[in-house]
Amino acid sequence: MNIELSELTRKFGRTVAVDQVSLDAGPGVLGLLGPNGAGKTSLLRMLATVLPPSSGSLRLLDRNPARPADRREVRRRLGYLPQNLGYYPSFTVADFVEYFALLKEIPPHLVPKAVATAIEKVDLGPKARARLRTLSGGMLRRVGIAQAIVNEPQLLLFDEPTAGLDPEQRVAFRALMRDLGQTATVIVSTHLVEDVGAACAEVALMAEGKIVFRGSPEELTVRGVGHGVGDAPLERGYSAVLASARTAS
Amino acid sequence: MSTPDDVDLDRVWTNVAAEVWRRHPGRLERSAARLLKSPGLARALLTTPSLLLPWLIASTVVLGAGALAQVGAGAPLVWLIAPAVAAVGIGYAYGPGVDPAWELSCSMAVSDRMVLLTRAVAVFTVNAVLGLVASAATLGTAASVGTAQLTFGWLLPMTAVCALTLAVAVAARSASVGAAAGVATWIILVLARSVTGAPASGSGGRGALNASGAARLTAAITDANLYLPYLAVTACCIAAVIYATRPQRGIH
Repeated sequence: MNIELSELTRKFGRTVAVDQVSLDAGPGVLGLLGPNGAGKTSLLRMLATVLPPSSGSLRLLDRNPARPADRREVRRRLGYLPQNLGYYPSFTVADFVEYFALLKEIPPHLVPKAVATAIEKVDLGPKARARLRTLSGGMLRRVGIAQAIVNEPQLLLFDEPTAGLDPEQRVAFRALMRDLGQTATVIVSTHLVEDVGAACAEVALMAEGKIVFRGSPEELTVRGVGHGVGDAPLERGYSAVLASARTAS
Repeated sequence: MSTPDDVDLDRVWTNVAAEVWRRHPGRLERSAARLLKSPGLARALLTTPSLLLPWLIASTVVLGAGALAQVGAGAPLVWLIAPAVAAVGIGYAYGPGVDPAWELSCSMAVSDRMVLLTRAVAVFTVNAVLGLVASAATLGTAASVGTAQLTFGWLLPMTAVCALTLAVAVAARSASVGAAAGVATWIILVLARSVTGAPASGSGGRGALNASGAARLTAAITDANLYLPYLAVTACCIAAVIYATRPQRGIH
């Protein structure tokens, strides 16, 4: 298993953002769905080793990220796209991806080819020498995806990766996710139910810090049969599970 | 024109693109990479906001203006502004809101603690050199009074103010709060010592009055009784920074 979480909890003061979440995941694409404030981003930040948990245990890539040496090794094999990707306006696309390749400690002689491969994968070749301040929001998102995959990570964490992408780019990104999921564990936090239906083999639905559903998109669809809210079958499943979670709490 | 079947054009193109797009690090970056034993850390150092050209130009202009004022009017400006300029530079070296990709940097193999400490040391060194140059330019003028203590003495309070700025910026996770705390502390200290510190004895005349005013203003630098507190503040603040940025051990 690349991810092993046991009763993972994260509190901010009195607010419990992630509440005793247990989760295992191997290679494949896992969609993390949930309403705003469900705890998706906090969970992703803990998986990215940016945020330490308040309690519970966390193992990533068979290592304990609480130990500095293990955490460094995990980070070398990790790709992370945060919800708000900051960028250096004067950097070119290639400079930006190269910067994070170096920070991920890719051996310097391998960096140029890794950068070129990542940029080509997100279809930004023609913009490789363009400065980031000249790019559109969708292009910047793709730059973020390029830096996340530049080290061919075994664990990939995407927080709202398709925000700002046009429909054609979203379709291409879903194909890329499926491709990456062949060998790596890909966790995608999103509001877009259709992304999950198209690209994810599994779905975890979070509400109020807990995982209230785990299964395939088809199983989530079945939960929505007879439920009135939502335009698509998967959306009806999503809202049915959320409604039942709210009723239970 | 056709290509042989066994030629992977994508691979060829990637190799070409890698060469075309590759960045060639400058001499400074290569030297820093060798010194730090990390190309990533060297690159992070050269992206320090308060080491970028506009910032360096601004610092040079401020210290240069201070030196001119010191030579012309005899006001001890270099000694008074050097710690404040350095403190602001340190505050804006690294952190959330300062470094655009800070969140991302926190998930990298090159630890953000190393980036912070390397940048802080680099910013301090650059500002110390700028201050020394500005200070050296005022040597021999009336305001310098020819004392090595006054010419180089501001380094100690500058170190303390910078350490305080860094500690507050790290604790508050805000560059602005850190910079404001450092500058405010320095201003309060200078003003407080100018009121309570012993003025130079004068026997009248405008020159003597100027000398007396300068002595009051520089009391925070020249008062040997403050050296130990400066060292203590520096040590405590550095310890606080190291503690606050320790690797999070969690509860595993």
